[in-house]
Amino acid sequence: MISSIVLITGLLLILIGLWGALTHRNILRIIISFSLMGTGTHIVIVAIGYVKNGTAPIIDSALGLAEAPQRAVDPIPSALVVTAIVIGLAVTAIMLAYAIRLYDTKKTLSIEALMESRW
Amino acid sequence: MVGSLLHPLNIFIVGLGGAFLIPLLNRLGSRWVASAFIFALAAMTLMSGISLLEVLNGSPPIDILTGGSKPPYSINLRAGLDEAVFAFGVNLVGLIGAYYFLREKYGTILIYLLLIMGIQGMVMTRDLFNLFVFLEIVSIATYGLLSLRDTPEALSATFKYLMATVLASNFFLIGTILLYATTGLLNIDDLIANQQAIAGPIGFAALIFLLASLLVELKPFPANGWGLDVYETARGDVAALISGGVSTGVFFALLKLLPLFEGQLEIIAAAGVITFVVSNLIGLQQTTAQRLLGYSSIGQIGLLTIAACLLRLANVDSATFLLIAGGLFINHLFAKVGLFWLADYVGKARLQDWSVLKSRPAAFLAFAVLLAAISGFPPFPGFWAKWQLVMVLAQDERYVWIVLILVGSLLEAAYLFRWFGQTLHGPVESQTARAGSGALVPIFALGLLLIISGLITSNLAGLNSFWPLIPLAAGALTLLIAPCPAWVQCLTVLGMALLGGGWLISDVTGLNGLFAVLLLAGGVTIAIASLYRNDTRPGFYPLLAVLLLSLPALPRASTTLEFFFIWELITLSSYFLVVRSRDAQRQALPFLLFSLVAAFFLLAGFAILHADSASYSLSALRTAGPNSAVVFVLLCVGLLIKAGAVGVHVWLPGAYAASDDDVSALLSAVISKVAIFGLLVGTYVAIRSEVSLQLAHVLGWIGMLTTLAAAMMAVCQDDMKRMLAYSSMSQLGYIVAAIALMSHLGWVTALYLVANHLMVKGILFLVAAALIARTGKRLLSDYGGLAGQMPLTFAAASIAILAMSGLPPFVGFGGKWLLLSAMMEKGWYGPALMTLLATFVGFLYMARFIQAIFLGPRRPDYADLEEAPAALLTAQALLIVGILVMSFFPKVLIEPVSRAIDPQFASTLVWQGMSLEMIYGTWNPIPIMLLAVAVSALLFGLFWYLQHAGLFKDMARRLARNLSPLQRFYAFCRTAFGVLTPPWASMFWSRVAVTADDLALCARSIYTGNGQIYSLFILYYVMALYIAAGGLRYLWP
Repeated sequence: MISSIVLITGLLLILIGLWGALTHRNILRIIISFSLMGTGTHIVIVAIGYVKNGTAPIIDSALGLAEAPQRAVDPIPSALVVTAIVIGLAVTAIMLAYAIRLYDTKKTLSIEALMESRW
Repeated sequence: MVGSLLHPLNIFIVGLGGAFLIPLLNRLGSRWVASAFIFALAAMTLMSGISLLEVLNGSPPIDILTGGSKPPYSINLRAGLDEAVFAFGVNLVGLIGAYYFLREKYGTILIYLLLIMGIQGMVMTRDLFNLFVFLEIVSIATYGLLSLRDTPEALSATFKYLMATVLASNFFLIGTILLYATTGLLNIDDLIANQQAIAGPIGFAALIFLLASLLVELKPFPANGWGLDVYETARGDVAALISGGVSTGVFFALLKLLPLFEGQLEIIAAAGVITFVVSNLIGLQQTTAQRLLGYSSIGQIGLLTIAACLLRLANVDSATFLLIAGGLFINHLFAKVGLFWLADYVGKARLQDWSVLKSRPAAFLAFAVLLAAISGFPPFPGFWAKWQLVMVLAQDERYVWIVLILVGSLLEAAYLFRWFGQTLHGPVESQTARAGSGALVPIFALGLLLIISGLITSNLAGLNSFWPLIPLAAGALTLLIAPCPAWVQCLTVLGMALLGGGWLISDVTGLNGLFAVLLLAGGVTIAIASLYRNDTRPGFYPLLAVLLLSLPALPRASTTLEFFFIWELITLSSYFLVVRSRDAQRQALPFLLFSLVAAFFLLAGFAILHADSASYSLSALRTAGPNSAVVFVLLCVGLLIKAGAVGVHVWLPGAYAASDDDVSALLSAVISKVAIFGLLVGTYVAIRSEVSLQLAHVLGWIGMLTTLAAAMMAVCQDDMKRMLAYSSMSQLGYIVAAIALMSHLGWVTALYLVANHLMVKGILFLVAAALIARTGKRLLSDYGGLAGQMPLTFAAASIAILAMSGLPPFVGFGGKWLLLSAMMEKGWYGPALMTLLATFVGFLYMARFIQAIFLGPRRPDYADLEEAPAALLTAQALLIVGILVMSFFPKVLIEPVSRAIDPQFASTLVWQGMSLEMIYGTWNPIPIMLLAVAVSALLFGLFWYLQHAGLFKDMARRLARNLSPLQRFYAFCRTAFGVLTPPWASMFWSRVAVTADDLALCARSIYTGNGQIYSLFILYYVMALYIAAGGLRYLWP
């Protein structure tokens, strides 16, 4: 149940991000939209690894090797999501850096100012 | 120990470690940074090179395990043959290109190293999530490098690039995680092994997300505006990295995931072909160099995608796959990267400003090499790969794909070589290219690599002998003596042609042997005339060497591959010879394009022949297969285009007229015979099947129509070289008709006419060369009364004209005579009548040539004209000797010809003596002779009547002023023939060109420059892919 709610939230966030990136004219808003999309994806990843009533995937006295597959949360998506978050952070940082330089040269943050090359 | 040091895993250790060390080394000094940078790249190149050698020597793919456990519990990488080729190629280019980054800040150098390392990872990893990580490393490094140019356009373009690639990598991540959700697997090998587990709506969506993401990263039409903008605005060396490096990584990722997309292969190939054709179409409209290269780049990746998918569908073995995919990849990598580097070196955005290259011959040479490589000319890898690709596709009966690939290639050649022409003939600026010569070294290195890799691929493609490469070697040798005076170079070329050509033809026998002797002797004789110019002609002599040696090499070819290879060498070298002339800027391109279309028809014909007979041997043409008629038609169409048959002749007069005068002579006298030789070889196939014999009849009609139409157009010309060009076309029509007769007598006639035309047109074009050299005038109406001043030239021209016209006693009479006899023998009365008509029209223009130039009143300004240069006269004299020998001792030629022709034809000629009477004595010439006279008289009468009956009254009145009766007669003929030969062909072909331009304009209107629209296109692209792959069935139960 929780997993479904999380999953749906994640998917919704992806769609909201996509919608925002395509409709907003302000570069900063576009960057935020891409961030939202990324976050949505991360939530989806986590939701996919979740096991209902599961526990942390640490094999010790509380969780024996035999019952681990049933009771433990799948650790791989969690591992993946950490990497994805780091990458997302880097990409957002770069986008923001470009936003700053664009503002410096053009004195505007509108995406419509970026149409020098065409055809 | 050494072995473990060179293990491919260390590529990543060196790459990452180097990147970490560089900031520290920067504290010690920038020299340290540069050294570490080069060292790391060299080490990576060495390691991938060693892996390549190992797998080439047959060792199994090198598996790279990490984390101390086996997959799927850890990430593994693999260096198999494909991986090693791609990784080594990228490393090599990365190492060479490092030159341009040596002086950058350490941060840039660090990012560069990471980028190259990331591409290696994308190529080698076998883990899906790891692939995502490497993709992101590569993307982020690219974003960093793109910031090196911070003009407003570059920043804008980069932001659009960021939006698109972030979108794509998000899709990749979603696809990966959905795939994990359905299968619980991330290891690519496991995923492929458990493909059936990828089912249901989620599994399907996962696959589509992955596929869409990779395709979008490859910049497919129409979702690629963001990529083009970056190619246009980025620094050339960074654009080179994106085009050669990043795209390679993504393409290889697609390649390794292809087994997952087994059901979508055709859709992926369709995406590729749309991209290939449309990009190259839009390329026609480009005016800036880097954007044009961007279109070409995207097109080439599209071609790679097509090849990868269709080869998988065709189930080819791994060697063939590597030859095609690897060949196309290496070709794109080296050539495109080289051109982007060159763009930096030139420093000019607009195509027309590239003419600054002219002041740097070395750079110009590199430019030509790179363009030829991209366009798929030999000896570069792309040529062999494309050849093999077409062979495989024909075997798989994918004809539509072949057509589309060839159309795309043609469009690409069109804009690339138009660019070349613009560069060569653009206005000369005082300002030279801005970068130092050092920047050229990496470009040369790539040119050299292209040649080396081309030679390696040629071997893989099945070219096992070295002799086809002799022309290229001769060209290269001549290039080395370029600083010597012109006459030294010319004599060297002649010497090499005699020695090398003599060796090439030494063991060629039969019909091929005859042609080889003819082409070699004709080529060398006419090339002697080139001695008359002593100005430096940059590039002329090396090209001449290639051409003169390719000509005799062609008849030596015994396989279709050898034939096509040498054919393309002739095409390319003659194009470069033509385009060198200042007047030829507009004419050279049609010449090349029609030649290319001709070559493509040959390629298709050979491919179907190979699919039919499973053989590359030219002798397969002599055995009938199920598709002989198709092969025959394809070969004939190609060869007719090359021979300038009516309708597809529009390239011919311009090219012949605009070339340098000695090149025109070569084109008309010798190079045109190459198409005739092809016809003789190619039409063997017709003899074997009844259907094709009917087609041969059509061929005969086309030949005679060409003869007649071209003769009429020749009468209409005032420019003497154009007149000779049309005359050449007309004479070739006779030869085509003679071949089409498909009889022993017909073929003897054809060869007889070939020899005749070679000598006659050689002389006449050299006469034109002499006249132009002395007076600088080209129009017949500017001449008059030169017989006294240039008696030797006059004599030569008269003999040639007599020999051509078919008047006794010269060789042309025999030819015409044989032709009529052969036609009567076959019962071809229509073509025979046209022969007579054409002979009459021929008289008109030939008489005019002599009359207008040498007879009549002398012009005062030519009072102290000298006789022609000795070199020209020598060449003419040699050709006249040939004419005399053939006229009075026809047996010298005809007997070996008769023996050489396939005994398939029943021999109808019996030679008894040496004189003409004896030979023609076998038939009774009187009735036909009478007929000829009667027809000519009738025609003269008709013309006379028409002129006097006032049918063309207005015209006659206009013409009457200030004209002598003879001039008036010619003016009348010109108008009448002008009416009879409407310029439908040129109208049609210019319409085709305009339509292509319009389509290109239309197609590129989607590139509005708006980043959000580009992102929207990506979204649409994903949806379209989902629907095309059949995703709708998952949307409702």
